[in-house]
Amino acid sequence: MRDERGHWYLLTGFAIGIILGLVYAWLIAPQGHQDTSPASLQSEFKDQYRAMIASAFVATGNLPRAEARLALLGDSDVARVLAEQAQRTLGGGKSPLEAQALGLLAVALGQGDSAAIPSPVPSLTPTHNQNTANPAQSTTDPAPSEMTPVETANAAAVSPSLSPTNPDPQETNLILSTATPLPTRTPSVTPGSPFVLQTNTFVCDVDLPNPLIQVIAEDSSGAPLPGQAVIITWDSGDDFFFTGLKPEIGLGYADFLMDPGVLYQVRMADGGQSVPDITPAECETESGSRYWGSWQLVFSRP
Amino acid sequence: MLLVILGVGLGLLYGWVINPVKYVDTTPAKLRSDYQTDYILMVAEAYQAEGDLDLAARRLAVLGDSHPAEIVRQGMILAAQINYADSDQELLSQLASELQTWIPSPGGVQP
Repeated sequence: MRDERGHWYLLTGFAIGIILGLVYAWLIAPQGHQDTSPASLQSEFKDQYRAMIASAFVATGNLPRAEARLALLGDSDVARVLAEQAQRTLGGGKSPLEAQALGLLAVALGQGDSAAIPSPVPSLTPTHNQNTANPAQSTTDPAPSEMTPVETANAAAVSPSLSPTNPDPQETNLILSTATPLPTRTPSVTPGSPFVLQTNTFVCDVDLPNPLIQVIAEDSSGAPLPGQAVIITWDSGDDFFFTGLKPEIGLGYADFLMDPGVLYQVRMADGGQSVPDITPAECETESGSRYWGSWQLVFSRP
Repeated sequence: MLLVILGVGLGLLYGWVINPVKYVDTTPAKLRSDYQTDYILMVAEAYQAEGDLDLAARRLAVLGDSHPAEIVRQGMILAAQINYADSDQELLSQLASELQTWIPSPGGVQP
């Protein structure tokens, strides 16, 4: 009897031990269930995390820090994800400022330089830079996914962060609206001269079958301006959106889908020139088939 | 019995070290403490520019049920431990101070 059983019972005991160990390690006491990374967040919380990164970026202008934080989320194409979230935010009727912040960060990442980076909010007290480093040093920072807690702290100190400002929010906002070229915190207080309409062109493009209002915002030298609010009104409503949320088309570009038969009025939110009576019109191919054309409006600062 | 213990050990090694459980769809409250601290710093940075204490409290609410000031205070402790820049610690301190006396506006977040 004992000879027939052989040594298999030993293996059975070993297998049972492994199973017990795995059950304990995976189900009863899994490792690190309270120490997850941002990459493991639910998609809605990832959106919230991204929006938080963008808001902090707009407040500080610290692109390396924003990049390090975004890397923690593990997105493959960060700028695209930001731009898409910005459009979702606008489309969903959420905070336009949040959408603007996301768009500005997407543009800044897409440009890879400081052209689209908003200026930090000026501090009202002398800054304390003793524990900060040049933002350029951030390129040598460890990959955020490999960060230990201490390394994370170093990344957070990548560039000068702002010294405490006057706690009076009104005073802080006033400075933001008068001393910061990009971005504004509200669409109506963009600094600089009001935009002027440069061209208003009807565009027939078979690749754009939907009737669009295409807005391009430029500075006086013709350089695209992202983050500029555009206001569109019509008889039964109004809407506004920001340039730069489609960086793949242009940093100063924004568009709006028109409904046939509706008259629209377009203006930049800084109170500049208004363009009335924009309405969908048809184009015709050589073969006689019809499709919707688009209006392309180029606004620039004088 | 010895082989059972050895099996348990190997099972634990595999389940905890070699192939640990990978978490998906978690909440910010489950983030590692240093990530939470960085999130709190982001809230403080944004608050500095926006000046909206209700919004800051709402953003902090995802980190747990504690009062927002307590959440920031915990963040300040860790920030000091892992040597955040002085200016960042000041931002956290300022936000914590503001939140000490914060009263939620109607319809706002309830800590």
